[in-house]
Amino acid sequence: MKALKQLLAATCVAAAIALPAAAAELRFTIWTGNEAHLQMLNGFANSFKATHPDVTVKFETIPPDSYTQKLTIQLAGGNAPDAGWLMEDAAPTFANAGVLEDLAPTLNAAKDYDFADFSKPALGLWTAGAKVFGVPFSTSPFVIFFNKDMFDKAGLEDPLALAAKGQWNMAKFQDVARRLTAANGKFGFEFKDGQGYDSRIMHALMPPIRAYGGDVWANRQCGFDTPQAVAAVKQLHDMVYKDKSIVPPGEKGDYFSGNAAMTINQISRASLMPKAGFNWGIAPLPAGPAGESPVIGQAGIVVFAAGKQKKLAAEFVAHMTNKTNVAIAAQFFPPARNSVLSGAGFLDSNKLIPAAQMKVVADAIAKGKVLPSHDKSPQIVAAMKPRVDALWRADANVENALKAVCTAIRPLL
Amino acid sequence: MADEGKTLRTAARERRAPRLTLAMREAMEAWLFISPTVAGFLVFFAGPLVAVVLYSLTEWNLLTQQMTYVGLANYRDALFDNPDFWHVARNSAIFAVGLVPFNMALALALALGLSGRFRGVIFFRTVFFAPVVTSAAAWAIVWKFLLQGESGFVNQILATVGIAGPNWLRDPNWAMFAVIFTRVIKMVGLNMILYIAALQAIPRDYEEAARLEGASGWQVFRWITWPLLGPTTLVIMVITTIGSFKVFDHIYLMTGGGPENGTLVLAFYIYEQGFKFFNVGYASALAILMFAIVMALTVVQLLVRRRDT
Repeated sequence: MKALKQLLAATCVAAAIALPAAAAELRFTIWTGNEAHLQMLNGFANSFKATHPDVTVKFETIPPDSYTQKLTIQLAGGNAPDAGWLMEDAAPTFANAGVLEDLAPTLNAAKDYDFADFSKPALGLWTAGAKVFGVPFSTSPFVIFFNKDMFDKAGLEDPLALAAKGQWNMAKFQDVARRLTAANGKFGFEFKDGQGYDSRIMHALMPPIRAYGGDVWANRQCGFDTPQAVAAVKQLHDMVYKDKSIVPPGEKGDYFSGNAAMTINQISRASLMPKAGFNWGIAPLPAGPAGESPVIGQAGIVVFAAGKQKKLAAEFVAHMTNKTNVAIAAQFFPPARNSVLSGAGFLDSNKLIPAAQMKVVADAIAKGKVLPSHDKSPQIVAAMKPRVDALWRADANVENALKAVCTAIRPLL
Repeated sequence: MADEGKTLRTAARERRAPRLTLAMREAMEAWLFISPTVAGFLVFFAGPLVAVVLYSLTEWNLLTQQMTYVGLANYRDALFDNPDFWHVARNSAIFAVGLVPFNMALALALALGLSGRFRGVIFFRTVFFAPVVTSAAAWAIVWKFLLQGESGFVNQILATVGIAGPNWLRDPNWAMFAVIFTRVIKMVGLNMILYIAALQAIPRDYEEAARLEGASGWQVFRWITWPLLGPTTLVIMVITTIGSFKVFDHIYLMTGGGPENGTLVLAFYIYEQGFKFFNVGYASALAILMFAIVMALTVVQLLVRRRDT
């Protein structure tokens, strides 16, 4: 009996201690584990305390490859985070399934928020009529990262210089990649994160196809078998198998460790560069017969309808995406707010990238088009995969392989 | 016997008249003792199993949380409407047919070589068993590296003797062979240990008697060792077959089902349907079909064995 009393007393004390700490904690899922990114995000959580002193925010990192999948399981399992990042290819699926909270009331009520400041095209994926299902936090164009040392060793002008002279096009891209490979004994070009044949098929094929004036799909029509797309992919195929200047399937040739002279990525990867140990720069994507056609990858911040603190989470989203914080985030995640994009601060926002190169990013955001999305994206990509595998054989017939891609995905579009 | 029980119970009633008989009390105690295990079995094993059967009769979208009863539509879809299922089942069969005999023959050969007592035998057994306890992820990463295209270690070795090796994991004609081979050398140690144990349990007298009768080494193996290994061979065959149909991690890590769906096996396909496309109902139906296939194979193996003995 005495023991029972003691236990009861201990429970009461524990409860009393725990109660004040139980003041709201928001759970926020992200896919970055980068220290600089986390420091910035925690900074937003700290500044949120000015208006919400009792609120803490816990950022949870889920690896990008399995992000959408694990998030879905959390939602289905009744363990919904309050808010989180969402990739562009998942946005239509999630919005249609009704799992995203409408943020419009909170954003419109937030002081000095100025929602109209967001670029209209950048909001396309995230709004439906007056409803706002997410706020894009990263509208990040793909750029070419180049290893300046390798260009110097090959005695070549770098892509930035070529772009300034209007000579940075797909033909030149193929030419320098070949020369770089010969001069350095390393691959001339690597697809995004070395994943161009696996999880980054779209990121590998989309930019050249758009440069040639094609599209992968639009208005429920498949674009892979159009003459423009065939010409673009033929060029890539030649670069992989004839020139041997692109890291081929099944090989490793990592740009960030100095094993490829160029790659395609977004400026959030610049945070890897200080450790890379070589001189580098960023340049626009090569232009094609269709002129310049930058490709933009997007990600948004959303609040989950199944969350328990929806209003508070929406207020935090409004805080994260106000003018001040979007300007801070711009160093890693190019903004969709016109005022920040056109402000002088943006070009100087990234400590690693000189203003002249940040101009590349700003121009691309102004002219670019977002990667294609679809509410059946996972199925489309899975249906494409085996046919794209068939494309990446040395003896493949590119045109037939691309026709097969269209046959496979047409019923899903 | 029955009378004895009666007198015992009557005697007990006269003393204290308990509400429960001894047998009932004992039974209750026994149930109490095993109740944690039974509860665990019901919650974590039987429950999910029943749930999978029920899910397989529904169309359930995980994201929208909408569940509709569709009867046997998922099974009809898999067996008759969707060509993917048969392609995938074929891949699983190829994987099993390639892996099981290869694994068992290698395990038996290793066991015959390493069942004796000689210097260094423990070392060699450890060498062949080590991959079994190595993490699947580490194993896959190392082998992916070794099996790269032109710059891969394996192909560079082959190049020194003038053979141009294929891009093992990217060539549809070779990828299945590569995953079977790497899987066999990862798992063969387990079967080797089972065979060694069985070999050491065979009495030496039989072999000695046969030798005295003038039997050759091969004859001893064919007519004495092999038949006596029968029960072990059956167990190994059953667990290896089941294991090969259930293979998932190895495929996920080595090829992701590619190239051109050439290594897309049943377990991986179920994962894709369930966790990538969130077709939980369809994935559950596939899981039941896989269960039926494995069950049928096991029964066939047992029947064949019974007929032989």
